[in-house]
Amino acid sequence: MSTNKLITPRYLFLSALIIVLAGGLVLLPKFEKQEGIAPELLLSNAISPERYISTDELADRIISNDPSILLIDVRDEASFNENTLPNSVNIPLDQLLNEDFEGYLDQAEYDVILFSNDSFKADQAWILCNRLDYKNLHVLKGGINEWFNTIINPKKPSENMPQTEYNLYSFRKAASMYFGVMYVDQVKKPDSKKAYVAPKKTTTTPKVVVPKKKKKKMPVEGGC
Amino acid sequence: MGPLIPNEIIPYEWNNIIAILIGIAFGFVLESSGFSSSRKLAGVFYGYDFAVLKVFFTAAVTAAIGLYYMDYLGYVNLGELYVQPTYLWGGIIGGAIMGVGFISAGFCPGTALTAVAIGKIDAIVYIVGIMIGVFIFAEAYSIFQPLYEGSYLGNITVVDYFGANPYWFIFGLTVVAVLAFFVTDIIRRRVKKVFY
Repeated sequence: MSTNKLITPRYLFLSALIIVLAGGLVLLPKFEKQEGIAPELLLSNAISPERYISTDELADRIISNDPSILLIDVRDEASFNENTLPNSVNIPLDQLLNEDFEGYLDQAEYDVILFSNDSFKADQAWILCNRLDYKNLHVLKGGINEWFNTIINPKKPSENMPQTEYNLYSFRKAASMYFGVMYVDQVKKPDSKKAYVAPKKTTTTPKVVVPKKKKKKMPVEGGC
Repeated sequence: MGPLIPNEIIPYEWNNIIAILIGIAFGFVLESSGFSSSRKLAGVFYGYDFAVLKVFFTAAVTAAIGLYYMDYLGYVNLGELYVQPTYLWGGIIGGAIMGVGFISAGFCPGTALTAVAIGKIDAIVYIVGIMIGVFIFAEAYSIFQPLYEGSYLGNITVVDYFGANPYWFIFGLTVVAVLAFFVTDIIRRRVKKVFY
């Protein structure tokens, strides 16, 4: 303590060391830190059963005019124009992070349901949006193909199947009629005076009429 | 406990044990480096010993540099660190009272406890004084409350408040610290020696 020398080598070394270390902080190349949620949280979201919504559940919610669902079609625009689910919004996967669409995805009011032809692209969109910590995201299990196979064109259960299968079938059949499918046995009522014309070809393939809606107008929210 | 428990290298239950071990080590180092002497502590105000200033300035700068390096390397998330809330006037007036106590008694609360541990009578008196102060504050809390809870600025840091670049701020602080060390060393050599 009682040294008379003002700057001892030891002090000089320590001072230089601390300044070099602090200077190193300034000079370090800065990089963007990982944004978004931690991998553990992402994993727990990914294995959560809430991730998927079945076609039956979705059909039920559409038919009951559930206002809290927001359907998002992540296929490209050509496929979207060809056929899609009613009231859906088209956000192609390659434009998912476009700022114009952020208001649809990053909000807390709606249950966002992502879908594509199968679950594949919708799953990718789900992962991307989940990493950005967007809430209430779901994927339509099986996508439009599953929608077609279960809701639009339900398979009639065979006679040895349980009652629940029949209940499911009748629900799906009713749902398909809601979505515009016409069944021969339903149309051919003798006292029907409606202008419904039964399809000429009396095959069992139901005609698919998927109504197409324009993009939903929704205020862009969030984003900060 | 730093990066170890949040990263699950050691279990959470070790928190208190590690805290006790660090506390014992801290008290031991305080005592062995002479910080249980009120003359040494008061020296910073009279200009014959600047150990207090050097120790605390070094601790602040070292911790800041270390934390920012660990944040850079991803071991510590600076955004998740707890920041003490700022009550501006409460802090200023409380700091002034603390300073007066520091000069007149020659202890800060932590060093007073180490001095009590080695049986210093002035430190025992000082601790009794702290207890009386705590008692008065607690009994008259309704009087002090507006000051105590007023001018609340939230859990802010200097960097947040002024919008400064943290890296440059730390670098500047380090330079200031080193300059302060040398300047105080010059002062110390000019002031009459005190033996303690």
